[in-house]
Amino acid sequence: MKVQTKTEDDWLAVLSVSGEMDAFTAPEFRNCLDETLEKGIAWILVDLGEVEYIDSVALGILIGSAKCVTERGGGLAVVCNRTNVLRVFDISGTRELLNVCQAESESRRLLEQQRTATVNSSAPEGGQ
Amino acid sequence: MAETLPVELLIPCDPQYLSVVRLVVAGIGGRAGLTIDDIDDLKVAVSEACTNTIDHAFADGEGAPQPATIMIRFAPRQGELRIEVEDVGQGFDPDRVPVRPDQPPSLEGGLGLYLIHQLTDSVEVQSAPGSGTKVIMTKRAAR
Repeated sequence: MKVQTKTEDDWLAVLSVSGEMDAFTAPEFRNCLDETLEKGIAWILVDLGEVEYIDSVALGILIGSAKCVTERGGGLAVVCNRTNVLRVFDISGTRELLNVCQAESESRRLLEQQRTATVNSSAPEGGQ
Repeated sequence: MAETLPVELLIPCDPQYLSVVRLVVAGIGGRAGLTIDDIDDLKVAVSEACTNTIDHAFADGEGAPQPATIMIRFAPRQGELRIEVEDVGQGFDPDRVPVRPDQPPSLEGGLGLYLIHQLTDSVEVQSAPGSGTKVIMTKRAAR
């Protein structure tokens, strides 16, 4: 498994993962997510387009991260178009919770919409 | 395929061997006539059963054999593959396992056994405190 992380426009982190995500490899993915969260980034796009296999350990990490960014007023979306990986999201009932989209542009648009809604609902002064 | 002797795979109780187990599932599943989708399901189910063993079977370290291992037995028949995942760890009381196959678990935990139930045609869990655990799964080819 390989993970590449890049930050875009100081608000969105894109984690592109390839390979197999299981109990052996998922901790590395967790470390990359933790590093992103430690930087204070609250909007995360996880691109699983090149992931061939996923199990409950990786799902648990994604669910935990989604909760974390939501608590910070951010959001997480997942890009996935492989049938066998989508099936795991479907069966576990996590597709909606994790904002799973089949196209990267779709998930990017979703996060941008959520962010715009969050900004608009905040106090205009942005202060306390 | 006539019924043959099962194939046995003994691995260390270590997650780095999960990918090896999935490779064997794919190879034997193909021989049993399972489809690619069936094999994908079974790869997740068997991997989850092994992960549960790694996480729980020898968790307290007491009485753990050195080295701790997992035995996986593959019994292929035409159109069907039965797989047993067995350990000699601390075991548990199956009546207290908080997972029912028709009920999605809490997202905080218990996903593994739920996925096993959902992705196979039959599952049997044999365990008792102090007596190890055996998970028996069967997957039949989609028609």
